[in-house]
Amino acid sequence: MRRMGPAALLALLAAAAAVPWLAGPYGVTVATSAAMWVALTVSWSLLGGTTAYISLGHVVFYGLGAYLVAATWGDVPLWLAILGAGGLAGAFALLVGLPVLRVKGPYFVILTLGLAELVKHLVLNLEAGLGASSRLLFGAPGGTTLYAGMLALAVLSIALAWWVRGSRLGRGLAAIREDETAAETVGVPIARFKVAAYALSAVVPGMVGGLAALRSTYFEPTQAFSPVVSFTIVTMAIVGGSGGVAGPLMGALLLFAASELLWASFPQVYLIGLGVLLVGFVLFVPRGLAGFLPGARP
Amino acid sequence: MLKGTIAAAALAAALGLGAQAEAADPVRIGFSIAQTGLFSQAAPSQMTAYEMWRDEVNAAGGLDVAGERRVIEFVWYDDESNPTKAAQIYEKLISDDKVDLLLAPWGTPTHLAIAGVVEQHQFPVVGNTAASVAVRDVAPGNIWFPTSAIPDRIGPELAKLAKSAGVTSVAVIANVLPFSQENLQFLIPALEAEGIAVKVNESYPPDIADMTTLLTQIKDAGVDGVIALSYPADSFLYMGQAKEIGIAAPFQFLLVGPTISAFADAFGAGADGIVTLGHWSPYQAAWPKAKPFYDAYVAKFSMRPDYLDTALAYMSCEILQQAVAVAGLDKAKLRETIAGTTFDTINGPVKFEGVQNAVTPTAFLQLQGGEMHLVWPAEIATSAFKAR
Amino acid sequence: MDVLLSGQLAFSVAVLGAVYAVVGLGLNLVYGTMRLLNVGHGELVMLGAYVAFWGFTLAGLSPLLGAPVAALLAALLGLALYGGLFRRMLEADGAGGRLEANSLLVFLGLSVVLQNASALAFTASPRAIRHLDEVIRVGGVAMTENRLAILLVAVAACAGTILLLRLGIHGLAIKALIDNRRAARIVGVDVDRTQRLSIALGFGLAGLAGALLAMIEQISPFMGFPYTVAAFVVIVLGGLGRLAGGVAAGFVLAAVQVYGVALTAPTYASVLLYGVFVAVLVLRPQGMAGARARP
Repeated sequence: MRRMGPAALLALLAAAAAVPWLAGPYGVTVATSAAMWVALTVSWSLLGGTTAYISLGHVVFYGLGAYLVAATWGDVPLWLAILGAGGLAGAFALLVGLPVLRVKGPYFVILTLGLAELVKHLVLNLEAGLGASSRLLFGAPGGTTLYAGMLALAVLSIALAWWVRGSRLGRGLAAIREDETAAETVGVPIARFKVAAYALSAVVPGMVGGLAALRSTYFEPTQAFSPVVSFTIVTMAIVGGSGGVAGPLMGALLLFAASELLWASFPQVYLIGLGVLLVGFVLFVPRGLAGFLPGARP
Repeated sequence: MLKGTIAAAALAAALGLGAQAEAADPVRIGFSIAQTGLFSQAAPSQMTAYEMWRDEVNAAGGLDVAGERRVIEFVWYDDESNPTKAAQIYEKLISDDKVDLLLAPWGTPTHLAIAGVVEQHQFPVVGNTAASVAVRDVAPGNIWFPTSAIPDRIGPELAKLAKSAGVTSVAVIANVLPFSQENLQFLIPALEAEGIAVKVNESYPPDIADMTTLLTQIKDAGVDGVIALSYPADSFLYMGQAKEIGIAAPFQFLLVGPTISAFADAFGAGADGIVTLGHWSPYQAAWPKAKPFYDAYVAKFSMRPDYLDTALAYMSCEILQQAVAVAGLDKAKLRETIAGTTFDTINGPVKFEGVQNAVTPTAFLQLQGGEMHLVWPAEIATSAFKAR
Repeated sequence: MDVLLSGQLAFSVAVLGAVYAVVGLGLNLVYGTMRLLNVGHGELVMLGAYVAFWGFTLAGLSPLLGAPVAALLAALLGLALYGGLFRRMLEADGAGGRLEANSLLVFLGLSVVLQNASALAFTASPRAIRHLDEVIRVGGVAMTENRLAILLVAVAACAGTILLLRLGIHGLAIKALIDNRRAARIVGVDVDRTQRLSIALGFGLAGLAGALLAMIEQISPFMGFPYTVAAFVVIVLGGLGRLAGGVAAGFVLAAVQVYGVALTAPTYASVLLYGVFVAVLVLRPQGMAGARARP
């Protein structure tokens, strides 16, 4: 498995911590977004990177977390709401994990997409039923505080991924990826492990969603459950290539950096540039960025 | 003597040239717009207004900045219909790009998202395409909302209009999205207060693909009014399917959609009589700037302006223009001027009380013979309501 | 209860189902056969709609005539992409299993390029045309001419494609590809030719659908995504690669939406759609007509 040395990670963390002093307020918002995508992509990889169960509906956890924070705004202390957001997302994953993870391959991919859309519409209906058409979040913490929170979540996701990889769960997941039936025969509790990975991959995105809700002062289900978030996560993970931590981390950072650079340089046509970049990437780096790391074996 | 004259002329010319060179320093106006994403269909109606305004002002010699004429230069970015990104962009515009002035983005969530940023930096912005009771919760001082299409006024006014049109019973259908639901909350009690029976009250999801059951229900209810709190996509769907099912109610209202240029293209005379939200019409003679604006827009873009969004966007530019002419670029003076002046716009006079426009009434438009006329309230109506 | 049995509702189910079916069939021919995750399928529909729009606006060409043009252009685009990109990717597959993931990136990039290029070229303002919008009555059921036309053309396209594939040798080849790619090659199937046909048909059907939809919808550069989602839901529900199953699933989904609403309330239309989808898959992980899934 490709590995990224702890030294490199610490250096990255040090740089990230220094951002509020080095960059202006806009720079901090950019770094917050970068941390957000790292947290989301690394968390996603807990399931998608290890077992190749590609979830294309991961925004459902993000959205649930955002909803909880928006719905309890003002009534519940923020830190509690954020923790609750992670808990809600994890609980939801545990609830649907068992039936959902029985579905395999491409069917799973689209099932997760459908599941995210289902939850989105349920929330829309719920909000309409409650007569809650404008959930405003004025007076939310911003700037450096928010950045610190997001960075903490990114670190948490990396720590979690690191821990899982070295654990029995991680080894079991790798076995599942190689050959699920064989793993089952050998005694790996595949259902339990898959659901555990799914739930673990949901918790941080839930909290990320909660924090993200604070950035836009207005909660709206279509925005909070937008499929674009899911697609971006998967794209970043694919760009990064497989690898417990290194792949998704690099994928998220690189794609984010490329996107920001293009956006700043060619504001009107940067998305076209991004599209071309993606296509070119596949042609020239078919195994993802992790392929460039020194690794134990392919 | 001739030498002196030539010298004097040369000096005068040099001074003149010098003054021109100074005035050529452009004034940079920043904003974000939803070029991509969920709002990208609606945003051009605003962007075109901004562009037209900039081109007109520059053609006339530039923006009058407290006496000095300066060319307008836009600094804009795509916020991808993401309010968070818009907030980031306005942070960038203010702190990094250091623009001189700001214009507003598209849409209610986006306006609300940037409200915090402009408040923090005490940088005044004249809003436009935002319509929610939520705007009243915004701390006044740095952002203003010229629209009168706010849900808690739309409800009662619409009920009054329906009553005056002789409607005794209605079917109300609403999109599940926030703006429609907000309107629904105020509309139902208002209808009941006017003694109008609400025989159908259903909501539907934003991606609804078929309204047959809904419309059959409405037809069977035999109502004489249909109020659809719809977004453009469902407005379109409604029009086509209502015709198929045969909805013949004399009063039909669609919340958002009919003001879009493509609406009339799609339904032609079949759209006549549809009532919608809007407080501007080119036919209001009391607003001398209205028709010229309309004609200029059509000439430039080969399509009609959006009667709500384009008008509002242009109004916000006019307000900014008139304020800057008096106050220059000083933020405190600008704030004072915007908050205190009565402005003369294509929509008539506009004056703010707190964050809201206190002059323009909540109004409704109706398509008559392919043209949009104001039919309510009577003070600004350009035509009387005509039953379908 | 009368509403449920009415012909009016049945007509609506038929029209909606036909759209789902033709859009789904197109995707099935690309994803179902070659495992190319075309998340830009909706953008092909969008392009088809623009072709019909410009054809109508500039040349007075009815979208019914514009549809084959749109289909042809889309097919050509598919072939170009195949030659330039996918053939290589498909051949390289086998090592690392990144075909689906890489194809996702490619198609995502492509969809982003198509959306934004269209926005630049045509502006993002919505467009619309008016064609065949008279309402006729057929046996007591009111039908708008354009919706009837969509139903007939879409069904014909689906039936034609499936028949063509079933009766022709290429159909067997595509089936072979779906069932087992490596074995197909060994058995002598001209994989390259078959894949070309598949992608041309798949893209072409999307373009055709778009041209038809131009008659009843607003056209804008970002209109495609809902069709991408619908197409995926349809083909997974029907069983990946099961062409007829996918067509049936299209009608099933339309029925769920329309009749479900009639039985409950309009507000549940989307909840029903996705709810049924999730429920069916969870109960039958290989889709309605699929064989036990091979990953």
